[in-house]
Amino acid sequence: MLEFDNVGLRFRSGVGVDNLTLRVGPGEVVALIGLNGAGKTTLMRLALRMLRPQRGTIRLFDQPLEAAPASSWAGVGALIEVPLAYPELTVRENLRISCMLHGTSPEQVDHSLDAWRLASVADRRFRRLSLGNRQRVGLASALQHDPRLIVLDEPSNALDPASVILLRDQLTRRAQDGAAVLVSSHHLDEVARIADRVLLMNAGRLIGELDTTGNDLERAFFERIREDDERHPVDGELAR
Amino acid sequence: MNTAIRVEALKLVRSPVGTIGTIALVAGTLALLGGITATLAGGNPELTAKVGTAATLNWNGLLASAAQITAAGGLLGLGIVLSWMFGREFTDGTITGLFALPVSRSRIALAKLAVYAVWAIVVSLALTLGILALGLLLGYGIPTVDGWASLGRQGALTLLTAAIAIPVAWIATATRSLLAAVGGAIALVVIAQVSALAGAEGWMPLAAPALWTMSAGAAVNPAQLSLAALFGIAFAALTTASWARLQLNR
Repeated sequence: MLEFDNVGLRFRSGVGVDNLTLRVGPGEVVALIGLNGAGKTTLMRLALRMLRPQRGTIRLFDQPLEAAPASSWAGVGALIEVPLAYPELTVRENLRISCMLHGTSPEQVDHSLDAWRLASVADRRFRRLSLGNRQRVGLASALQHDPRLIVLDEPSNALDPASVILLRDQLTRRAQDGAAVLVSSHHLDEVARIADRVLLMNAGRLIGELDTTGNDLERAFFERIREDDERHPVDGELAR
Repeated sequence: MNTAIRVEALKLVRSPVGTIGTIALVAGTLALLGGITATLAGGNPELTAKVGTAATLNWNGLLASAAQITAAGGLLGLGIVLSWMFGREFTDGTITGLFALPVSRSRIALAKLAVYAVWAIVVSLALTLGILALGLLLGYGIPTVDGWASLGRQGALTLLTAAIAIPVAWIATATRSLLAAVGGAIALVVIAQVSALAGAEGWMPLAAPALWTMSAGAAVNPAQLSLAALFGIAFAALTTASWARLQLNR
């Protein structure tokens, strides 16, 4: 579904990502974890063509990203930083325009409102929502067209525990239905519950997988980061 | 394309910016015209000297005032609304949601420009009809053939002013900033006014529409007027191309 082959990008400031190679297949949940500035969002922006790589190849649905037709994006659902939602529109209107822009029927909106427990605020303007509700609107907007590839940057931000469970159930069910899921998170325990693989990112590089079967995930995580920093001391500020 | 146009139309119709912009351009201009007329009728010599050819209490005076207001205030108002249509995606951060869609960003940019064009036509019609109603209310009588032609030029001036404001869409895109685009709108007004005062002729696209209207068509030929429209079309093409190539690298 999504493949990175030796992808690199350096910004004018000198920071960036390098040697990114990964594959997210159908039915698989892959989590990205790393410290702030490790390059997780940059990787996701590259996957969604918000940035173009200087080196390497990115493939979406087995096609090079630069050659993928616009229609192929109908199979992608993403939430990076800010939801596709406008403050002057109601929740229902926002979900409706998201359906239209994703090329799916607006009839999905009612189902989406129920699935994400947004029915009670359906006719409220987006600007009047709490942060948690805004995030749920963003997630509903990203997933209501049943994408085959899901890319979510820290999707549990601002969610209450009930909404975190809702998100977990949604991602697990969609992966079981064959979707490929790439998700970044700071919540190691949460990631360990849903991810088939947890990829560690540090200083703009993917540095391997984290074994999530151990008892102390935080200790294992920091140990791996420390080891990588010791091996690559000059690259400590590579990523953004 | 229809999808993007429907989405952009909904955003403009539901936004306070669209509503306030429309009211300011139509009702604001009519209120200013009413105020100028009342002051002139009161015999204010300072205003009479300032407004020049617009100092007569008839259709000619009313339409000359309308052209002056549209050339400055209209350009600013149209530019601010267009700045918001493009710049808000960067300021609100919603630009990230406009990637990874089956509707390309160039189509979204074109849809924004199409909605802006339709809105400018609505503003132009409402303002022209409002000026007609105001003139009738002031007792200027049914316009003569020349009066109707002047009213038609006033409608065209609003549309051409909308066209010469289009660079702000490109400025918003290039700078990723709503405020920079609003600054661009102010700069366009300043350049247009200064170049007109400095004696710019019809080949200056930012000044040509107002010169054409205020000279009853005499000072600007059709080729020069077309250049103003082409100026807008060129920046529309530049903006669309910028959206197609857009990267979120800063």
